[in-house]
Amino acid sequence: MSTPIHIHGFTNDTLGWKAWLDVVQLAQATPAQMSVLEESHPKAKESDYYLFLVHQPEILRQRSLAFNAIMYAPGGLSRAERELASTVVSRINGCVYCASVHAQRFEQLAKRQDVIEQVFEQPNGAGTSDRERAIVDFSIELTLNPEHVNADSVKKLIDAGLQNSEVLDLIHSVAIFAWANRLMLNLGEPIFPSA
Amino acid sequence: MLNQSPSDTLDRLVGLLPQSQTYATRHEREKVVLATQGSEDGLFDPSLPGLSVEERLCVALYACLLTPSPDLAAEYESRLQKLGANLQTILLIQKSDIQSIGNARLAAMLNFTRTLITKPINADKLALSALPEAGLSTPEVVTLAQLISFVSYQVRLAAGLRAMKALELSS
Repeated sequence: MSTPIHIHGFTNDTLGWKAWLDVVQLAQATPAQMSVLEESHPKAKESDYYLFLVHQPEILRQRSLAFNAIMYAPGGLSRAERELASTVVSRINGCVYCASVHAQRFEQLAKRQDVIEQVFEQPNGAGTSDRERAIVDFSIELTLNPEHVNADSVKKLIDAGLQNSEVLDLIHSVAIFAWANRLMLNLGEPIFPSA
Repeated sequence: MLNQSPSDTLDRLVGLLPQSQTYATRHEREKVVLATQGSEDGLFDPSLPGLSVEERLCVALYACLLTPSPDLAAEYESRLQKLGANLQTILLIQKSDIQSIGNARLAAMLNFTRTLITKPINADKLALSALPEAGLSTPEVVTLAQLISFVSYQVRLAAGLRAMKALELSS
């Protein structure tokens, strides 16, 4: 079972999220907005995040297609490793909400939480194996200094045992959280469970 | 260049040709390729109401300059020029002299862009409220936030693909 983690303001608790501006009211949603909500996430109709983004339904539709294809497609980088990359990016960008969600998903998939504690404590150098450390390092570099990422950065991943297809999935997982974190951080705030 | 898909921005900018390994790897995840291009097309769709295409391109240019991502900045600058955008505005964005643009609505959008790109953690309710105060409707705020965040994604995808291509060419 998952043990609660609280390190530097980051947690694996289940958090809520509320929008700072007006969300679309379901009763007033257009058919196009309803269908995008249904495609995006099983709980999108109860989520301030989706109800806010659905002010622009076609943009949300494409974003959800990209997100779901990146995070859930079979094959390639393991889903746990995609979640690890997402958690690292969220930790670096300071998105407590995203970090909590994806820390939980990592734990559910990998059945352990050691590396999550390391990432919350100090992302630089985190990882329980050479492969994990390579994934974490690359996630940090692509997040903070995309222009510095080069052949050598990819070579380190290959040397740590990643296939080309896994490298691509890692790039996708890091990049999509550059997107997700900025929405979550800038449009609303997490709600913490009452103590 | 004959076989290159001209409609895919990242293939074109990174210079991925169908015979290359990196192109083949990328296109094994075709849903991602299509939704990435679909997002770009949707965000810059002239029929999308609200922000003008010129405003959207100014935001994208500034986001790329701040990241920095010179290739994507050049791409958005060239789209602005093709659109006949105000050259003085482009110059001021390149100098990051937002105050001198003399357009409170565009300046508010560009200031928000700077926060999201350089210090996303510094975003707060106050930073967001500057947008409605500058006259943006809520759907316009959503377009703007999605646009800046999409560009953050696009520049990292381009950087990653470029690195994969560089390793392919060196081996």
